[in-house]
Amino acid sequence: MPTVDCTGKTSREINREIRALVCAGETDVHVRHPQARHNLGVALLQPVTLTIQGSVGYYCGGLMDGATIEVHGSCGWGVAESMLDGTVVVGRNAGNSAAASIRGGTVVVRGNASSRAGIAMKGGTLIVQGDSGYMTGFMMQKGTIVVCGDAGEALGDSMYEGRIFVGGRIADLGNDAEVGEPTEDDRAFLTASLARYDVRPPAEFRKVVAGKRLWQFDKKDFETWREAL
Amino acid sequence: MCGIVGFLDKTENRDAAVGHVLFDMLSALDRRGPDSSGVAIYSDQTGQSSGGDGPPRYVVRVKLGERGPVEAAAQTALNRLTRVATVLDSHIQGPSLRVVIESAAAPAEMEHAIEAAGVSDSENNGGALEVVSLGHRLDLVKQVGSPANLEQTYAVSSTRGTHGIGHTRMSTESRVDLSHSQPFWAHRGADVAVVHNGHITNYHKLRRLYEQRGHRFYTENDSEIIGLYLAERMAQGAGFADALHDSLSEFDGAFSFLAATADALGYAKDPFGFKPLTVTEAPTYVALATEEQALRAALGDDFPVWEPGVKDVATWRIGRG
Repeated sequence: MPTVDCTGKTSREINREIRALVCAGETDVHVRHPQARHNLGVALLQPVTLTIQGSVGYYCGGLMDGATIEVHGSCGWGVAESMLDGTVVVGRNAGNSAAASIRGGTVVVRGNASSRAGIAMKGGTLIVQGDSGYMTGFMMQKGTIVVCGDAGEALGDSMYEGRIFVGGRIADLGNDAEVGEPTEDDRAFLTASLARYDVRPPAEFRKVVAGKRLWQFDKKDFETWREAL
Repeated sequence: MCGIVGFLDKTENRDAAVGHVLFDMLSALDRRGPDSSGVAIYSDQTGQSSGGDGPPRYVVRVKLGERGPVEAAAQTALNRLTRVATVLDSHIQGPSLRVVIESAAAPAEMEHAIEAAGVSDSENNGGALEVVSLGHRLDLVKQVGSPANLEQTYAVSSTRGTHGIGHTRMSTESRVDLSHSQPFWAHRGADVAVVHNGHITNYHKLRRLYEQRGHRFYTENDSEIIGLYLAERMAQGAGFADALHDSLSEFDGAFSFLAATADALGYAKDPFGFKPLTVTEAPTYVALATEEQALRAALGDDFPVWEPGVKDVATWRIGRG
């Protein structure tokens, strides 16, 4: 199996090596000794499977379309940022803004995710097996966030659309986020997607959606607006 | 940007390779800011155990000027020190004078004696003399340039001890010189030091309040106020962790900072989580760094790392050797 050893190389050199292997038709590439470097596997546009044996830094898998990345370690800020499609599975914890602005695909964090996980999501799915931090789902516009553990303060703050499921405790809801009822479709989606990534589901999920009071300005909601802005 | 790092040995080992770990971590972060760099390392450097006989011993670091000849300034500093302390050892390293002293005087008194507050600038070597650190266990070195430059001047990586903090700076709000480099000693009492990544946005307001109460500020750097605040809270009787917690409601802005005392290391994170910080903890040590790659470069591949949440505070204490 083709392997890229990161020792002594810059992120740019590593990404060029990965790209050269993918262009040569390889569909399974291993990356060794990443030592939490930034920008690994950015803008991969082919259906390659990248197995990274260690931790990655910021923006791993950002802007990619259709690749699969398995990180056998933790990740820094903005994992899979603005991904169009594909899958990123992080074996341990994620830093701030996991799955920021993704338009499609799936990000799985097997540990905990830090602040602003799923910020400004425009589609796709973020699954956090552990807990997620402050302002999870901030300003999300579409897509699904699943938190099997606890969610931090200001959950779903100023979200426009989309759905958030939480298995554990919700510290508090953000502006204009409200608790809704999971539908049969929601339950089927949760069962199928968690099983697919071998994530054990919690006993039950609560659903959080947009209250939609921030969709149009109304003077009587002035206090909410002031807080939100 | 800026990079901050910290390390503490939790065992009873008083001779851990603290300098080595800090230097490796700083080197991995130096692209976050190569303007200046520094470390504060805590060890049994004076050979005096706590509660030992005789007057307390301290290590004092005096800045001898930003550039130019340093010998005359060093002699001035030593002359002034001998009025309030017995000098046991002294030597010049780069732009800094390291002195081991024995004195019953209060730290503030020694500081005032060296800096000769009130003496005219022409007599005071252009106002250059500045006590950069003073502590029983603290030794603090910093200078303009990258961690590699720091290593050249101070051989940081061979310094051993129990714990320490380090900083590599990208200046965004005040000038680049030795005084504005980090870590900052708290200037109030002995041993408290701080490294900071971020901005304290209500700094000017807080600074005015402190100045009204008679505190002197040495720089225009907002980070300077953090140590001052923590040391003052602890002098008022607050524990280290409580002082860190209290700081979260006192400071506005985006910040992650590390603070150290003679026997402890801790961090505090702002209420929005705007600034990065990663942590790993093993049974024998705890290490913190702005980015995970610093932890990997210094300590290896096989341990979990996490990013603390907003408003998070934690402290660790050294073992009793």
